[in-house]
Amino acid sequence: MGQLELSAVTKSFGSAQVIKPTDLTIDEGDFVVFVGPSGCGKSTMLRMIAGLEEITTGTVSIDGTVVNDLPPVKRGISMVFQSYALYPHMDVFENIAFPLRVARMPQAEVDERVTKAANILKLDQRLKHRPGELSGGQRQRVAIGRAIVREPQVFLFDEPLSNLDAALRAEMRVELSRLHNQLGNTMIYVTHDQIEAMTMATKIVVLRDGMIEQVGSPLELFHMPKNKFVAGFIGNPNMNFIEVVCETTTAEGVRVVLPGGGSVTIPVEGQAAAGDKMTLGIRPDDLRAGAAEACLTMAPEVIERLGNQTVLHGNIAGAGQISAVVPGNLPIALDAPMDLGFDGLQAHLFDAQGVALPRRIDLSEMQLPDAAE
Amino acid sequence: MIDKYRWYEKLAIYAGMLVFLTFILAPFVEAFVVSLRPLDQVFRVPYRFITDDMSFSAYVTMWESVPRLGRYIFNSFFISCCVTLLALSCIIPAAYSFSRFSYKGRDGLLGTFLAINMVGSAVLIIPMYKLMLNLGLLNSYFAMVLPGAAFSVPTGIFLMRSYFLRIPKELEEAAHVDGASRIYTLWRVILPVALPGIMVVAITTFISAYAQQFLFALIFNSNSDLHPLPMGLYEFFGRQRIIWNELMAASLVGITPVLLVYIFLQRYIVAGLTAGAVKE
Ligand SMILES: Nc1ncnc2c1ncn2[C@@H]1O[C@H](COP(=O)(O)OP(=O)(O)OP(=O)(O)O)[C@@H](O)[C@H]1O
Ligand SMILES: [Mg+2]
Repeated sequence: MGQLELSAVTKSFGSAQVIKPTDLTIDEGDFVVFVGPSGCGKSTMLRMIAGLEEITTGTVSIDGTVVNDLPPVKRGISMVFQSYALYPHMDVFENIAFPLRVARMPQAEVDERVTKAANILKLDQRLKHRPGELSGGQRQRVAIGRAIVREPQVFLFDEPLSNLDAALRAEMRVELSRLHNQLGNTMIYVTHDQIEAMTMATKIVVLRDGMIEQVGSPLELFHMPKNKFVAGFIGNPNMNFIEVVCETTTAEGVRVVLPGGGSVTIPVEGQAAAGDKMTLGIRPDDLRAGAAEACLTMAPEVIERLGNQTVLHGNIAGAGQISAVVPGNLPIALDAPMDLGFDGLQAHLFDAQGVALPRRIDLSEMQLPDAAE
Repeated sequence: MIDKYRWYEKLAIYAGMLVFLTFILAPFVEAFVVSLRPLDQVFRVPYRFITDDMSFSAYVTMWESVPRLGRYIFNSFFISCCVTLLALSCIIPAAYSFSRFSYKGRDGLLGTFLAINMVGSAVLIIPMYKLMLNLGLLNSYFAMVLPGAAFSVPTGIFLMRSYFLRIPKELEEAAHVDGASRIYTLWRVILPVALPGIMVVAITTFISAYAQQFLFALIFNSNSDLHPLPMGLYEFFGRQRIIWNELMAASLVGITPVLLVYIFLQRYIVAGLTAGAVKE
């Protein structure tokens, strides 16, 4: 139920291939999030799974059946659109009931299912209203209601929250996660908001230019990105990249020379020859004010005080722009050079092609099994 | 809203509207005033706008001078209704296809429709006469309904198409994902959402059919039982004199159906019917 597999799927519009050959397996009950920059093919991928866009080559199968030529209903999917796509002339009840009306379900069952969906989505007070009379969040919930009444195996969401304000978005995120736990269906969710991706997904698929860059759990992508693109895309503020030169490879890892002259050992697998140009990645949160073994010197040019923390942006000599997150109560002066230290354990290392050298960390230490299991 | 016009700009705007309205409405006013005068006073010199001898008697006597007046008004109304229904039944599917499907020659076809429209019915009247003659349609309601409908289709398609184009594609995709067929979607989703547009097209078609029918009736129909009002009005033209006051009264009474249709249909031209369909 709800197991989905893409094999060698491509999509071309005319001569432009917007999805390069893609393989992907999505297990039953997964909450999969597609992320990537605008225009990378997220919507196209989703629409191919939905059956709204023809698949140029390759196959999509759901529960082992190839569904390339099946219409959406027969695939057992339902979709929530980037724009809500509600029927403006029908009230909320009829909007939610639409798929059931199409299926000619008896009135009693329609009533029962719509009421159930409306209760889950807290829309029971709004059933007689037209979409035009609802707030953005309510419209979104109606659209979700229409998707869940049919009890499909797979839900598809295309940036459902992109037009909501920040507070409503946070609220809907929680509601969607709760819905996923409640229904247990497979969900595929497109967004370019990485907070949505990190918070809701059990599995994130990072796309770039129609190619899958990496698939993994949120923590996996955060801690073990396979390349610079994924490392830079996941995490906020973005990871700092610093040009470094390899000094030596030892049993502990790779030792690199920092722009300031100091050097640091980064515990990674793999080999690098002395003198190789490499990129060191360090997240702004992993930098701390004060000198350390591994140390960068930066003069803050922009200071963003968020209260609980302060975000600094500035240049380091010869290595470009970096950001740092420091405690909110730390005194900071604009343009005054300050030391930012970090621990080699937290750093990432990429070779000249931007491919990460695997870090020696164990993700399983970061998570306990769910209490319910 | 901020009042952004200066007093002289406002003055110019109102003066413009006054000129425009006078131009449009003066014939109606004059027709109405003439219909109230006794016949021998119609050409009175010097001209006086309001006189004591005005009465509504022409509105009574006209039914006696031309006993079939009611029938003519009915014919006019009936022909226009038929034209509107027939035209809509062609316009809606055609416009839908033009707006939603892509096929070879689609844009060319649309252009051709508009080009035909530019040529106009008067130029084509003789060939059409031949056609009707061959089909045996002369002297029937068909003879007046068919050309009327045919010539309102191109503009109708154009209007309707732009309305359909404004309906977000996602509505149909959503219905498709929910398992609805094209026809079901068209019937349950697209047409209700397009209702204001359909009403606009219906009104324009009805009005232009009402105005057009004179030409078609004159050429294609000689059965006076089927004549629409504009032809019927000729019966007020007597041998010696023209009964101007009754003619004007009959004309004014004759356009009331248009008014009624307009009032009835314009309720459906509700702005913002699509509100809430998609994120704005
Ligand atoms: N119907 C189409 N015809 C031609 N090209 C298309 C069509 N639809 C999408 N594309 C192209 O395919 C690429 C991927 O588009 P897609 O809509 O999947 O991007 P996306 O990742 O969803 O972006 P966004 O985050 O902005 O929604 C884009 O470069 C776009 O120009
Ligand atoms: Mg998109």
